Amino acid sequence: MITIRKAKDRGHADHGWLNTWHTFSFASYYDPAHMGFRSLRVINDDRVAAGKGFGAHGHRDMEIISYVLEGNLAHKDSMGESRIIGPNTIQAMSAGTGIVHSEFNPSPKEPVHFLQIWIQPAEGDVKPSYHQMSFEPQEKRGKLRLLAAPHGDLAEGTGAAAIHQDARVWASELGAGESLTQPIAKGRFGYVQVARGNILLNGEKLGEGDSASVSAESSVTLAGDGSDGGEFILFDLA
Amino acid sequence: MQDVNVVIVFYSRTGTTEKLALAAAVGAVQGKANIRLRRIPETAGEEEIARLPGWKESHDRMSWEYIAPREADAAWAEGLVVAIPEWMDLASPEVKNCLDALPGGKVAAALGRAGLDQALTAAGMTLVQPETGEDALDSARLAGVRVAETARAARQNQP
Repeated sequence: MITIRKAKDRGHADHGWLNTWHTFSFASYYDPAHMGFRSLRVINDDRVAAGKGFGAHGHRDMEIISYVLEGNLAHKDSMGESRIIGPNTIQAMSAGTGIVHSEFNPSPKEPVHFLQIWIQPAEGDVKPSYHQMSFEPQEKRGKLRLLAAPHGDLAEGTGAAAIHQDARVWASELGAGESLTQPIAKGRFGYVQVARGNILLNGEKLGEGDSASVSAESSVTLAGDGSDGGEFILFDLA
Repeated sequence: MQDVNVVIVFYSRTGTTEKLALAAAVGAVQGKANIRLRRIPETAGEEEIARLPGWKESHDRMSWEYIAPREADAAWAEGLVVAIPEWMDLASPEVKNCLDALPGGKVAAALGRAGLDQALTAAGMTLVQPETGEDALDSARLAGVRVAETARAARQNQP
């Protein structure tokens, strides 16, 4: 079963410096019908104005993944990491016992557009950790690029971030007419978030910002739709 | 267990006391608190700032990364951590304005300056007694943990 959540039905807040869409309940947007899906708790589609950002704030017991679509994001945290990430980079943080971090758009001119994803960890109170890996754009072109996978379950050299949950996260960019199929094991679930452009999910049309949960399906077939195709994030969840 | 709200207020020139404040913030998060970090605004002029190596860089960066304490923070806070450099005069306008703006009756911890704990008590705070850590940063972290825990207990004891 595929359940589509249209982009316009998401929570929305425009603070001027921050224009954000919430796939699931977050901050002042609260809808008990949309509290997450399986271990997936948050997908925020954020656009932050030049020079602006989120000041120091704390997180506990959460796997936090940031995926930049356009622009750059400066990150600084209590583990001593001070980084700037751009597109085609996976940044994942295990908040565990507690971290404090800030996220700013370091550009004096350009906005930054990024997805922030929170996955609830399977275990609490883990030691906080930070992972960041970059990849070539062609690694996600026409195929799935693994962004995050369970801690201890990573094949050497996949270049994915380790998270404390039985979940896998991929990014992919499909041109018009390009397609791929990913099996979903019995008893597992999928979630697709369109980052930009247009995608077909098992034949169902998804536009930019649309998402869909996938239950009791043996596979998902994703295809680039429209004139330019699109980019999406795929989750495989317990 | 519900999250409590802890505000960490600090004054820093070259970042040393900022590190204490960040350590306390991590401790408060470890103690399951929502946190806000607030920097006491700088009153020194540009020339003075330029005289101390590293001050200008830190000042520019911190001006970007932190906002000053706001009235809404006082209402939001259930616990407070105040961090002031050891050398700083408690009667300085920065410290005095900060203490004057603090609401009484909160659970609080003092970091850095000797005598700040008495000043906070005089301002109507209930000071926590944190354990001493391995070093100053660890002690600051433990102070954050203790403020969060004590603020939570205080909330639960309310009728």
